[in-house]
Amino acid sequence: MKLGAYALTLALISGAVQAQAPETLAWLRKMQDAAQKLSYTGTFVYQNAGRSETSRITRFVEASGGDIEKLEVMDGVPREIVRTKDTVRCYLPGARLVKVDRRTERGFPALLPERISAVARNYDITLGETRRIAGYDCQAVVLTPKDNLRYGYRLYADNASGMLLRAVTFDASGEQIEQFMFTQLVIGGVTRDMVKPRHASRNWRVEDAEAAPARANGWGLSSELPGFHKVVELKRRLSDSRPAAQMVYSDGLAAVSVFIEAVEGRPEPVRPGLASMGAIHMYTREVANHVVTVVGEAPAASVQRIANAVEYRPQ
Amino acid sequence: MKDRISALMDGELDDKSASELIGSLAHGSEHADAWREYHVIRDAMRGTAPLSEGFSARVAWKLADQPTVLAPRRTRPGLAPDSPRWFTLSAIAASFAAVALVGWLAFAPQQPAPAPVLAKVQPPVEKPAMVPMPTSANDYLLAHQGFSPRVSLQGMAPYVLTVAEHPAEARK
Repeated sequence: MKLGAYALTLALISGAVQAQAPETLAWLRKMQDAAQKLSYTGTFVYQNAGRSETSRITRFVEASGGDIEKLEVMDGVPREIVRTKDTVRCYLPGARLVKVDRRTERGFPALLPERISAVARNYDITLGETRRIAGYDCQAVVLTPKDNLRYGYRLYADNASGMLLRAVTFDASGEQIEQFMFTQLVIGGVTRDMVKPRHASRNWRVEDAEAAPARANGWGLSSELPGFHKVVELKRRLSDSRPAAQMVYSDGLAAVSVFIEAVEGRPEPVRPGLASMGAIHMYTREVANHVVTVVGEAPAASVQRIANAVEYRPQ
Repeated sequence: MKDRISALMDGELDDKSASELIGSLAHGSEHADAWREYHVIRDAMRGTAPLSEGFSARVAWKLADQPTVLAPRRTRPGLAPDSPRWFTLSAIAASFAAVALVGWLAFAPQQPAPAPVLAKVQPPVEKPAMVPMPTSANDYLLAHQGFSPRVSLQGMAPYVLTVAEHPAEARK
């Protein structure tokens, strides 16, 4: 029945967004299913113009359906991130610190049918080349943005399983901004031991973000960026227990977060301006005696436009 | 010299100085690279030019390799006490940062101002000041990634950025 409902939704979406061929939307669904159902372990390289980093990622799916995923950075200090159903823990041996980020809502964001519809509104989705990656025959699904407010994506998924082996982000001129690519991957054969954190972190400091849904009273955008809509609003703590508000805007595929925190108590002086790392841009400015930090996988101008639209209206 | 190149690009030099400088640049001055880089940066900021193969990669690589803060020069002692982060202002950064500087000076933390006034002094979209990743960058990224729909396709891979070692931190 669930499948039937999904097929119906997919049909409706396909009808509403005629430009998108049903098989391309089906490919997105197949990738998402693979990301939720497969156990695997593999080595992937993250690459942007300035850096390249190798990591190992291992995912263990329990018989009950729950899953644990572990990411280990292979270069430099052996940092680790372990995600369970509702919690992400970052193990940072250099600082002997565990950062904990719990999900208050159920699970992690899924590419729900309504999101796929949002994706189809903002991107042209087409099938691209076929290519062999890390020994798997892959099909490329290309998401080309309909405007220059977002990046494009070329996603290469294994024909057989739907597992995503390579994801390339490109800008308006087609230039590659960053990519994630598996260089080695084994699907199946994962045991629980393989997703345990390697660090004995009993005596490490723990920083819990204590995220909880909350309204940031008086704060908002004077105008939303076309295609981006608010998906969540919450309060949390950043390092040193600094309270902050977070509002997340998404176009169905990319997301941009707005963080608002008081100027007082910050460990470093406020440096207004733009910083970037691959497809991530981070724009900082001051509004009404607060620091506004806007972070997202979107072009600099989009992040900046959202930042510049942040306003405080005393109530 | 770099100030003069920047002034030339902004059309602020008189004819004589401009032709001298152009002559010097044309004859293989060591500053010809700066001239090229400034244009590359300016075009990239404006997002106008159709970029050639590997173009932005090269620029980004250079920026990443020189994480100098392009930020306003401290104009008087005590403005940013004990801050090692205010590096020399290059002229090109000045043009990018000028508006941000105005905002920064006018609305320093000690001087709370009502939001409607602030809203009128937004920096223009074309010319942001480039700054290094803040030290809290990983906190923001960790908080952000959990809500990115990318994760539902890519799994944890994008989280690799939330534990990245930033050049600015590595040097501490």
